[in-house]
Amino acid sequence: MSVTDLLTRAEALCKKYEKYDLDKKQDATVYKNDRFMMLYTTLQADLEAAMQKANDASIEKNRAVVATLNAEVRRAKAALKEQIPKLTKYAGKKVKGATKEDLALRPDLVLGLVAKIEDIPDGVVAPRKPVKGKKGKGAAETIKIDAMSPEQVMSGSQNQSSEESSSFAQEADRRKAKQDESLEVISEGLTTLGNMAQDINEEMDKQTTLVDEIDSKVDKAATEMKSTNVRLKETLVRLRSSRNIMVDIVCLIVIMSIAAALYKIIIDKKAKQAATTTTT
Amino acid sequence: MCGCFVSTLDEFSSGRSRGGGGGMADRQEQKLKDAEKWLKKADKLTKLSFTRWAADWSEATPLYEQAGLVYKTAKLFEKGKHCFEKAAIGQERLSSQWTAAKHLETAGGLAKELEAWPEVADLYKRASEMYMFCGKPQPAADALVRGAKAIEDSVPDDAIRMYLDSCSFLEDDGREQMAFDTYRAATNLYIKQQRYADAASMLLRWGQAADKCKAIQSQCKAYVSAILVYLYNQDLKAAEQCHNDCSQVDAFLNSEQNQLAEKVLQAYRDSDGDEVMYVIKSSKTLPHLDHMIVRLAKQLPVGGLKPVIGPSNDDLDENDLT
Repeated sequence: MSVTDLLTRAEALCKKYEKYDLDKKQDATVYKNDRFMMLYTTLQADLEAAMQKANDASIEKNRAVVATLNAEVRRAKAALKEQIPKLTKYAGKKVKGATKEDLALRPDLVLGLVAKIEDIPDGVVAPRKPVKGKKGKGAAETIKIDAMSPEQVMSGSQNQSSEESSSFAQEADRRKAKQDESLEVISEGLTTLGNMAQDINEEMDKQTTLVDEIDSKVDKAATEMKSTNVRLKETLVRLRSSRNIMVDIVCLIVIMSIAAALYKIIIDKKAKQAATTTTT
Repeated sequence: MCGCFVSTLDEFSSGRSRGGGGGMADRQEQKLKDAEKWLKKADKLTKLSFTRWAADWSEATPLYEQAGLVYKTAKLFEKGKHCFEKAAIGQERLSSQWTAAKHLETAGGLAKELEAWPEVADLYKRASEMYMFCGKPQPAADALVRGAKAIEDSVPDDAIRMYLDSCSFLEDDGREQMAFDTYRAATNLYIKQQRYADAASMLLRWGQAADKCKAIQSQCKAYVSAILVYLYNQDLKAAEQCHNDCSQVDAFLNSEQNQLAEKVLQAYRDSDGDEVMYVIKSSKTLPHLDHMIVRLAKQLPVGGLKPVIGPSNDDLDENDLT
């Protein structure tokens, strides 16, 4: 466990039982002369506020609000970081009313503060490398957890520069360039298609109105045709009834011809009878 | 009797042997003779004289139409035009303006072959008036466009006027979508005549019409074409103003065409000729514009780039109280 962790834990506990800390309350007035402590407390307060904003950002659903909150958090972090050098300067100064141990602890307090500032999440997109080691900024003497970060491990092997890996990397780059070219071609084709589709869309809109007009006109024509057909049918029916008259006439003619034939036969018979009576 | 028989046989056989070509010529001659006959008859029917107090148009009009058709196919344009004009008058008297307008258009087409340009314009205008009389602005506009196309090479001013009239007919009727082709034709004519400011204003009118019928693609294309035409005319200020005006329209503001416009204008503001050419060459939306506009754009920047005395400098002077 590092010093920073210890400090954070201690602070959390102190805060919890702050109201029982009579010493602190008494020392509050002393801090007027102690510029370090004044600055330290203000920075702590700002840190708290920034942390609060970061928490709000993490639970907020609205993307725009998240973005603004993150931006504010980042601004706060930058402001705090600016104040750190000043704080370190004050930490080095001797102040009356502070014990020797306090003075010894001050640099550590500063470091702890720095670490806490870094820890505030500010919605930076780049994913943090998983094992980077605790940030011991500004103090090379602080305890590092990992002797070598993964980056150092990787760069170590690259320094050996094996041929295989470099040719592999080149091949990968070439392939990527080719893919980029193909993607360019595809994108051009898609743009053309998109433009053509939009033009077709406009043509269709134009022709929709025309087709609607044609539709109504054709409907009108169809109804007219229907009525004309009905009238035609009626006329035909009447004609057929006149055909019945024709049939009657034909029958009459046939009957009359038969009657005429019969009459002729009777006359002939009578003439014959007359002829036979005169001879006898 | 035998002689007659032989002579008829001879005719019959000779007719057969002459075959297609000779037969066609004969038929055509026959047709022309018929047409002459019809024309004479129709003229007699319509000419007022002592014996005839009222022209008989109902008889004469079909004769005129038939004669006109024959002359048209025989490519005797003068006579054909004359016949069709008379036929149109006849139809008008018979109060069928639609057919009359159609005959006038045919006559106009024949006049075009004769290259009698004032007559062409006149005939087409009369046809369009008839169509309007029938209450059909769409065919009226179409007639004007056809007439304008016929005379645009020889009498461009008249053609322009006809195009504009056609556009206003359609705009009044609220059918601007049909007018797009007319706008395009008018713009191309202006560009041919190198009247670039007029071309740009026509393009803006086109954009407005497109806006009314929500044809956003056409609208954006029209606006960016107008900006390019202004730039070709070496009128950077007008181009900037045009861009400002067009950017008020949301549809244009978010379009690819606007991006092209902004890039070109930015390059102009930086007085960077190479940048202008690069933007024009690498743009994906430019080739989809009208081909005349593309031709103009490929020639940008024209006349060198003058250092821009933009409005920003003026502001500085105003605020500079020293």
